[in-house]
Amino acid sequence: MFYRDRKEWADLEPVPQDDGPNPVVKIAYSEKFSDVYDYFRALLKKDERSDRAFALTAEAIELNAANYTVWHYRRVLLQALQKDLREEMRYITDIIEEQPKNYQVWHHRRMVVEWLNDPSEELEFIADILSQDAKNYHAWQHRQWVIQEYKLWDNELEFVEKLLEEDVRNNSVWNQRHFVISHTTGYSSPAILDREVQYCLNQIRKAPHNESAWNYLKGILQDRGMSSHPGLLEQVLELKETHCSPYLLAFLVDCYEDALENNNQKETLNRALEVCEYLAQEKDTIRKEYWLFLQRSLESRFECIDVLLCQGISPLLKSDIKNGV
Amino acid sequence: CFQLEEFEQIDFLRDRHVRFFQRTLQVLPERYASLETTRLTVMFFAVSGLDVLDALDVIDRNNMIEWIYSLQVLPTEDQSNLSRCGFRGSSHIGIPYSVKGPGVLHPYDSGHVAMTYTGLTSLLILGDDLSRVNKQACLAGLKALQLEDGSFCAVPEGSENDIRFIYCAACICYMLDDWSGMDIQKAIEYIRGSMSYDNGFGQGAGLESHGGWTFCAIASLCLMGRLEEALSQRELDRIRRWCIMRQQSGFHGRPNKPVDTCYSFWVGATLELLDVFQYTNYEKNRNYILSTQDRLVGGFAKWPDSHPDPLHAYLGLCGLSLIGEPNLRKVHPALNITQRAFQHLQQLQQTWRDNAGTCT
Repeated sequence: MFYRDRKEWADLEPVPQDDGPNPVVKIAYSEKFSDVYDYFRALLKKDERSDRAFALTAEAIELNAANYTVWHYRRVLLQALQKDLREEMRYITDIIEEQPKNYQVWHHRRMVVEWLNDPSEELEFIADILSQDAKNYHAWQHRQWVIQEYKLWDNELEFVEKLLEEDVRNNSVWNQRHFVISHTTGYSSPAILDREVQYCLNQIRKAPHNESAWNYLKGILQDRGMSSHPGLLEQVLELKETHCSPYLLAFLVDCYEDALENNNQKETLNRALEVCEYLAQEKDTIRKEYWLFLQRSLESRFECIDVLLCQGISPLLKSDIKNGV
Repeated sequence: CFQLEEFEQIDFLRDRHVRFFQRTLQVLPERYASLETTRLTVMFFAVSGLDVLDALDVIDRNNMIEWIYSLQVLPTEDQSNLSRCGFRGSSHIGIPYSVKGPGVLHPYDSGHVAMTYTGLTSLLILGDDLSRVNKQACLAGLKALQLEDGSFCAVPEGSENDIRFIYCAACICYMLDDWSGMDIQKAIEYIRGSMSYDNGFGQGAGLESHGGWTFCAIASLCLMGRLEEALSQRELDRIRRWCIMRQQSGFHGRPNKPVDTCYSFWVGATLELLDVFQYTNYEKNRNYILSTQDRLVGGFAKWPDSHPDPLHAYLGLCGLSLIGEPNLRKVHPALNITQRAFQHLQQLQQTWRDNAGTCT
């Protein structure tokens, strides 16, 4: 039954949408839809705080759960009417299960959790949403917020390992791994760093063509000396024979670049240039122009002293010219 | 003949796209209800899309300009709502239609940062001179949305806060040529804090890096004129690498995820801003975008054989424009409007500066 025909609503004057004489991107609503929202707008104008208003917000949400004003008004009513927040948690759980990629519903849940100051259901709930879509960005965002806000770090690494076993290519999980470790033990201790390096290499052995694992490996080493981690370069060169991928080769280039920054050797530069060539011509041809560009950059940056001397140029002067001095 | 069919398959169907955007600007069926509060952004996709297609002549610009101005939240007589000013996404609150002030006092009426951004860009694209925009009110409304950590909320009532709205804020300040609406330093800190271990940018600190948020980060820094101040050469090179690895055929938004037409713009434009878009594979990118073209109704979808929508239709076109597709206008990669609309903005801003100089 339409709200306009209900006598308990007769005191309210419905408020239609008014787009003027030339509406743009107009949505053609059914009578039922317009009826609900005409009364929503009427309540909003009065800023009415009542149970009938609260009930209507649920109907409005069902018709359009992306309307952030309806959610805000519902929160105002939740507080003004001292509604049962546990019941609201059940409500928002159902809505998120139906519409897990909507921003407003997750924000609403966060607000209710904050009001209750009770995160006890969150990890399990989010795990359930992730079991339906393991890469849902909203779910991971909410999870990080809960864990950080309520210090629920204890079992998260275990959760990460379980999900990586299910899908070692899930980039969201690798990100979560970094999130947990950087906020708990950190990566400074050589024991932890080495554990993580070995973990990565093991995952790479199982699934070589996995950008996420290589990104993680590079990520944890890039500011801690990629070329100076004991035995790493050797392990990677070994893997190159049996578990090659564009990501392995790119990692190799980055290792060589790191080495060159500490010790500019012609041999190292040549190796780096060779790998760039290999990537450009054979192993990652979609990025051919980029690898050739990188090759030129490396050449230009690390041009060796003996080459410069052959050209009769003082190496110091040449680098000055490059740096615009 | 098979070869002729192949050519047809990758044919760019300009007229279909023009009609797709025309229909978008008219009436959408009820199943698009979830777009109600963001109708102004949908208008932006269609209007800017028509601009990229050099087809703005098919619409009534003046009527559209009036509609946009009806969405402006103007100051009330007593100016008590300044921190809520800006543009609405639509008429969904029920404010009676009006294109001029003073504003109407309503307990729940306020602007939305993404609508203020797309409202201003749409006005510019349609050739308006922004003379009816209350710039000070917009900037006051914007300022009220920035949080301590440098990020922005979307609305003063409260919402999620993240890097998307920093981008909207940067566009607004850039267009109005007035950065008093935001604390740039704090925004830069938030952006830097959003850089992931893998050198892409997430929606906030600790979050997974993603092509959309990386665009927001880099484009914002470019608009602020702080790219090289905020990021070292080493960091920029690492970001370039993260971005360029997103190309699979078209582009995806995160490692190990499927490609999606819109990332041809989000990642493509970022690469362009970082001077390395030239090193991507144009042919594979183009082939992917065109494979998502809807040959019947026009527009583009995220994937082949999927339903087109205004966002993917617009960003698909922008993706093609970046690779130099013939008969498409060039797009400003940071502001996401055509270079033509951008030049109009530059002329306007020159006028404002000249007028400010001659103020008595």
